[in-house]
Amino acid sequence: MTASAAARPAATASSARTGPRFAVVGNPENRRVSLFTEAVRAAGLPAPRVVAWADVLRARGADFGADEFVRVDSPGENPEVDRLLRGATDPTRVEGSARWYTGFTAALRTLRGGIPLADPDDLAALFDKRACHAVLDSAGVPVPDSPTSGPHGARVHGWDDVRALMREHRMPRLFVKPAHGSSASGVLAVETAGGGRIRATTSVETGPDGALHNSLRVRRYHDERDVARIVDALAPDGLHLERWVPKASQAGRAADLRVVVVAGRATHAVVRTSRGPLTNLHLGGSRGDLDGVRRAVTAAGARWSDVLDVCERAASCFPRTLCVGVDLLPAMDWRRSFVGEVNAFGDLLPRLTGLPGSGAEGLDTYGAQVAAVLRAPAGSGPRHPYRTGTAHA
Amino acid sequence: MTIGEHLDALHGLPSFTFPGPGAPTDRLPEPDSVAWRLNSDVYDADEAWADTFARFRAAVDTNRVRALIIGAWGDAYDSAPTEIFEALVEARDAFPALRAVFVGDLVMEECEISWIHQTDVTPLLNAYPALEEFGVRGGTGLEFTALRHGALRRLVAETGGLPVGVVRGIGASDLPALEHLDLWLGTPDYGGDSEAADLEPILSGARLPRLRHLALRNSEMQDAVAAAVAAAPVVERLEVLDLSMGVLTDDGAVALLSGQPLTHLKKLDLHHNYLSEAVAERIRQTLVAAGVEVDLDRDDADEDTEDDGTVWRYVAVGE
Repeated sequence: MTASAAARPAATASSARTGPRFAVVGNPENRRVSLFTEAVRAAGLPAPRVVAWADVLRARGADFGADEFVRVDSPGENPEVDRLLRGATDPTRVEGSARWYTGFTAALRTLRGGIPLADPDDLAALFDKRACHAVLDSAGVPVPDSPTSGPHGARVHGWDDVRALMREHRMPRLFVKPAHGSSASGVLAVETAGGGRIRATTSVETGPDGALHNSLRVRRYHDERDVARIVDALAPDGLHLERWVPKASQAGRAADLRVVVVAGRATHAVVRTSRGPLTNLHLGGSRGDLDGVRRAVTAAGARWSDVLDVCERAASCFPRTLCVGVDLLPAMDWRRSFVGEVNAFGDLLPRLTGLPGSGAEGLDTYGAQVAAVLRAPAGSGPRHPYRTGTAHA
Repeated sequence: MTIGEHLDALHGLPSFTFPGPGAPTDRLPEPDSVAWRLNSDVYDADEAWADTFARFRAAVDTNRVRALIIGAWGDAYDSAPTEIFEALVEARDAFPALRAVFVGDLVMEECEISWIHQTDVTPLLNAYPALEEFGVRGGTGLEFTALRHGALRRLVAETGGLPVGVVRGIGASDLPALEHLDLWLGTPDYGGDSEAADLEPILSGARLPRLRHLALRNSEMQDAVAAAVAAAPVVERLEVLDLSMGVLTDDGAVALLSGQPLTHLKKLDLHHNYLSEAVAERIRQTLVAAGVEVDLDRDDADEDTEDDGTVWRYVAVGE
């Protein structure tokens, strides 16, 4: 999916006459696609051409005009696409994420032509938590310790390996994450203490046939055999382990931030709070108070601009991708933060408008991306080498 | 519910966290103006607790320190704060103004309440005869030997399971100044092995002449506690009775209403309950009309019913 150099002058000429054209690869029925379509139209441009993931996968590719800006959106929440990508017949099934990853990254490389707004190599790293962790770590972005980081990290074949790594790295409390999962799918927050005490918090439940399913209910497992059964079933898809850094709290609930970074700039942020270790909104997390977080950060002697800076540094590790959603974990004292995840499709925050001083005030995450493309020199693509010294309100 | 927030105050003084290693300590508040929060980390501490304490003693005039909040210590899920208690006992002469101590101000993200290891708190109380306020979080390993303490006005034990030895130890203590007693009894799953009968020395009030605020809460046997309270001599001297956070059902509430009058109370706290609307209304009719502030908020008290009809009810803070 690279625009040939020869195509670019044509794009410039065309843009000058009609304004840029957008295409979006997504699931047409999904609200992500409609929200992006609305944003493009709101910018006074013709609606983007919608290219269905199902068609891309069946036809083994799709072609884009040299002047088309190509947005790649999530292939999720569509049973047929899910089946094509990972062979799953039941969308709640947790297993199959390795196959999904292979299928998805291969499909990205069948998108031909156009001006890509997300880079296949970036996406390949973003959808492998072990690779993503290593990229962030080597760039000096603060991340929780991990024994499975990068190509030289430990590989986990089952619960026994997890136990061994916990001992070796003195990690009695950690997150076990499928390497290619998203939205807390298959994630376990594991706590252990002496005397064999264990607790795992997860949305995974085991079906009667032993298959793993995601549910909307967070469960607690206290029997190591149950935890081992789940982890053993997840391990063939690849697992990433990370130290559980105690998070700061707001109004008595553990808090983290989702910060959307567009073209290098942190534009949107929400606080997510939860009574448990998983803050995802579909698992009972709720929106917190962003002004309260800013006050807490300041009161702790840290700077809000540094918080956003961490997110922008994380995004700058993926310079050929226009937009990412950074999950930022503020440490208990609010003075430090760690990047928990960087999400390629982390912009689904409907109706949320941009941060003051971000340049995206009044725009939602989709509008901010359209505006960023319009701002950029025609044909330049989404490159946004990270610059230091950006001032934040 | 879980413990989600650190104490923001103790003894009427706002909590102030003593800066971590490397952070400047040249602009600290007046020693007697805050409750000093001394904190290490449960995991991967930058500094051992003893070193934090040493830095604190060097940076702050402890002669004027009135309140101490002990936050996290290393491996709190496996290790009792024995060293902390020993250090505080050993340093007693350096803290002549100390009036309030809370040990174990850890939140869920650091260590769930029932995972916090505690120890025998009695030596600390004996070492500080002028202490007016003592609180502790975490029931695992917690011990309390019967004692006499002439100054203690407020005693708090927040646990997911309070060992019977602690209940009996407090019951057998002479606490002539105690005004406020708050015990989270918890569940047998997490070591709360007392029975309602073990509360009798407290409920008699014989050794608690100044008690005004009694909380026996967060109990799986909240009904039995309510029934025992219904006939307890201590109740007539109370201003606040708190039976919240537990598994309180109609049985316990009806028993409470059938006992001695409660209309002299300023407040009855029954939040987090499993009461029917009919019984809740009876409580309102009886007490609110008499001017008692009653908290009947169901909060997050949710029942789970299994297919076979088994109903599960939970205390507010367990694990």
